Amino acid sequence: MLQQMIDNLSSFFGSGSNIMFLIFALLAIGGAVFMLNLTKVVHMVTSLAVTFISLAAIYILLQAEFVAVVQVLIYAGAITILMIFAIMMTNHREIDQSIVRPLHQGLVLIGVILLGGLIFYAVQRAAFPAPDVDLATNNTENIGLKLFHEHVIPFELMSVLLTVAFIGAIIIAKREED
Amino acid sequence: MNVVSSYLILAAILFCLGLYGALTKRNAIIVLLSVELMLNAVNLNLVAFAKWGIAPSLTGQIFSLFTITIAAAEVAVGIAILIAYYRSKATSDVRDMNSLKR
Amino acid sequence: MEAVYAQYAWLVPLFPLIAFLILLAIGRTTSRVGPIIGVLAAGASFVWSLFVLFEQMKGDGMGYVWNDLEWIRAGNFVLEMGFEVNPLNALMLAIVSFVSLLVNLYSIGYMKDDARITVFFSYVALFTFAMLALVISENVVQLYIFWELVGLCSFLLIGFWYEKPEARAAAKKAFIVTRVGDVALLIGILLLVWNMPGHALGFTNIANAFANGEIAGGTATLIAILIFIGAVGKSGQFPLHTWLPDAMEGPTPISALIHAATMVAAGVYLVARTYPVFEASSDALQVVAYVGAFTAIFAAIIALTQRDIKRILAYSTISQLGYMMMAMGIGAYAAGIFHLFTHAFFKALLFLAAGSVIHALHEQDIFKMGGLWKKMRLTGWTFAIGGLALSGIIPLAGFWSKDAILAEAYHSQPVLFWIGLITAFLTAFYMARLFFAAFTGPAETDDAARAHESPAVMTIPLVILALFSIGAGFVNIPGSERLAAWLTGEAPSDHSSVLVIVLSNVVAVAGLLLGWLMYGKKAVPQDWLSGRAGWLYRLSFKKFYIDELYEYLIVRPLRVFGYFLHLFDEFIIDGIVRLLAGITVGLGRTGTRLQNGQLQTYGLVSLLGIVILAVAFVGWRFVVNAG
Repeated sequence: MLQQMIDNLSSFFGSGSNIMFLIFALLAIGGAVFMLNLTKVVHMVTSLAVTFISLAAIYILLQAEFVAVVQVLIYAGAITILMIFAIMMTNHREIDQSIVRPLHQGLVLIGVILLGGLIFYAVQRAAFPAPDVDLATNNTENIGLKLFHEHVIPFELMSVLLTVAFIGAIIIAKREED
Repeated sequence: MNVVSSYLILAAILFCLGLYGALTKRNAIIVLLSVELMLNAVNLNLVAFAKWGIAPSLTGQIFSLFTITIAAAEVAVGIAILIAYYRSKATSDVRDMNSLKR
Repeated sequence: MEAVYAQYAWLVPLFPLIAFLILLAIGRTTSRVGPIIGVLAAGASFVWSLFVLFEQMKGDGMGYVWNDLEWIRAGNFVLEMGFEVNPLNALMLAIVSFVSLLVNLYSIGYMKDDARITVFFSYVALFTFAMLALVISENVVQLYIFWELVGLCSFLLIGFWYEKPEARAAAKKAFIVTRVGDVALLIGILLLVWNMPGHALGFTNIANAFANGEIAGGTATLIAILIFIGAVGKSGQFPLHTWLPDAMEGPTPISALIHAATMVAAGVYLVARTYPVFEASSDALQVVAYVGAFTAIFAAIIALTQRDIKRILAYSTISQLGYMMMAMGIGAYAAGIFHLFTHAFFKALLFLAAGSVIHALHEQDIFKMGGLWKKMRLTGWTFAIGGLALSGIIPLAGFWSKDAILAEAYHSQPVLFWIGLITAFLTAFYMARLFFAAFTGPAETDDAARAHESPAVMTIPLVILALFSIGAGFVNIPGSERLAAWLTGEAPSDHSSVLVIVLSNVVAVAGLLLGWLMYGKKAVPQDWLSGRAGWLYRLSFKKFYIDELYEYLIVRPLRVFGYFLHLFDEFIIDGIVRLLAGITVGLGRTGTRLQNGQLQTYGLVSLLGIVILAVAFVGWRFVVNAG
């Protein structure tokens, strides 16, 4: 089994896309880990932005160019900025101290590791035949066609949802007129 | 080992990290941030299956667009609630938000 | 001719039982009616027992057995309840009910000022019932039941004045020490159940089985010794004698009834009832004889130096019971019962007279009395008669019975005869010491100077008992042993000799004389012996340190053991209970901590739940697929 793993690894590093994937994957995981372990909230948000962008790069590797751009726009752009605004408005100390709840943290760690292990095990056992499909040509055009032909109702619902969301956000966050 | 497995494992790792942050961090903002991380992991899963899954098609990518939209809406409303809460209780510590006890 | 009254002998214990129940019910409501009910019941049972007795005396061997009440049936083992009437029983019935009647009468005066007088009479009635029922028991198990009941009544009555810590301690001591004997008796009964053919336990069955030699010699010896140990406990023989002197903490009528005349005689009665067992084993008889003889002289030595009037009489009782046991041991069955018969009268008389003195003086130390002869004539005379009877002066009752024992001993085992003779000397000496110190000489205290005679209800029983102490011996004088013949149903062997009669009287008179010289005339100084050999005096006064020996050998180790058991109970048994409680509370507290209103806690619980479910699922499939 070890021999098989080494064979797999060496064949894995043979192709360039794999190396790119590895780099960006490490970036993404690194960003997430740093987010958990940094102390200042703004630094946490920044490292998460790094994760978002490396995820966008991985999307491009997966021939999902439109989604990658949307990811950068929305996540690394809007949501990160929104978070920083929220930090500015709520937590002036900007320091997130992890409280000492060793039992709770320990249990969460165990649960999370178990969950991860479970998913890893499930993924290893599953067999996914991979027919090769080219999604990159005319990616945006095809997405637009599909979206407005077959998935138009969810699209409309999305717009309603966004309207409701931003109206609600305004109402909730509005300062009470006394 | 399939081609798609590495993407799925990456997504799993990101999901677990996000879950840990969501259940452990004290600041509500960071909890929301961890939830965003989890949603990103799910997105990665969707897009990976769109390319290398059993029935690859563009539907996966479209679905991920929807997920991103919903995540954005949820962040907006969440931040609004958080700001309103902070305005009235002057704390953003999730430990103090324990009215579910009653 | 069919026995008529014997068929209704069960009425004799019934009257005191009814009295007990009535007195229990009326309780403290009235203190005038209670004593009368007690006396009436005692009187009724005495009258009926006389009927039974006279009927037994008329015929020859006209016993009656009724055992038709089936109590336990287990497989082919059947235990019946019933009663039996034979000469020995009938005699004991009469003695017990007679003394009980006199004590009831006496207690009307003695316990007059006690608030719990009705309770007292109810206990006395219960005791009378138990003793009478013990006497007419048909089988060993039934006898054991009433044996225990009698022990219980003794406990209740010794501790009657329970506010006094000495009374409480004495009651406990009596119960526990007799318990040792009772356990041995129970083991003996169990051996009997095991070995008797057909597991029959009636006394007639036992007599037949042992007389025919159906039970092996070793087993018979063992059973006899065990039964004898039970008798040793109840009759206060060495080494289980320590409870009897302490039992004097109880009221004096009780000391007269229970610890002089009746309950302590139950041990002798038990040996007499199971005599065929002893006859089957000569070793057991030797043990009985020597234990009895040793106890007699041992108790007499202790009685020489005691100062409390009741304790002197208590040790005297132990000593005389030793005589009875010695008689049983050397084969003089009739002589032993005869001595029991006469001893009941004069010992009860002595105790009741002592009670009269105590009632007048509220003092029990004989060296704090004095000069009572002039002030309490009747008590003095009756006490003197009782003392002479106990010393064995001819022609009083005590002489004839003691002579029967000594004559038999002289004939069969001379060593025991000499021990008995020396004991007779000591008996006479300490009785004289007691009499002269208490009744003659100047009054030592003001209470003694102001003493007056007791009321008639107390002195009439004294007179009656004195008459019996004088005349009761004539039923069995040498040459005309009617009692022996009647009891054993065979012609008595006459071993009496003039030598024994003369010797016993000489030593008795010598003892009385020495007592008079030392304590009456004060011609011989009182510390003649104790001054020269002080250790002898201390040995006797401290009761040969037996109580201290038991304290260190038995009581202390048991206390330590009990302490360890207490620790075990507290830490291990209680610990387990507390552990269980702690677990429950801990589980509850954990549940409380889960419900703290925090989202992250709930999220953690959900995560763990999902993981556990998934692992169970995967594991299940893994196990199913792999296996």
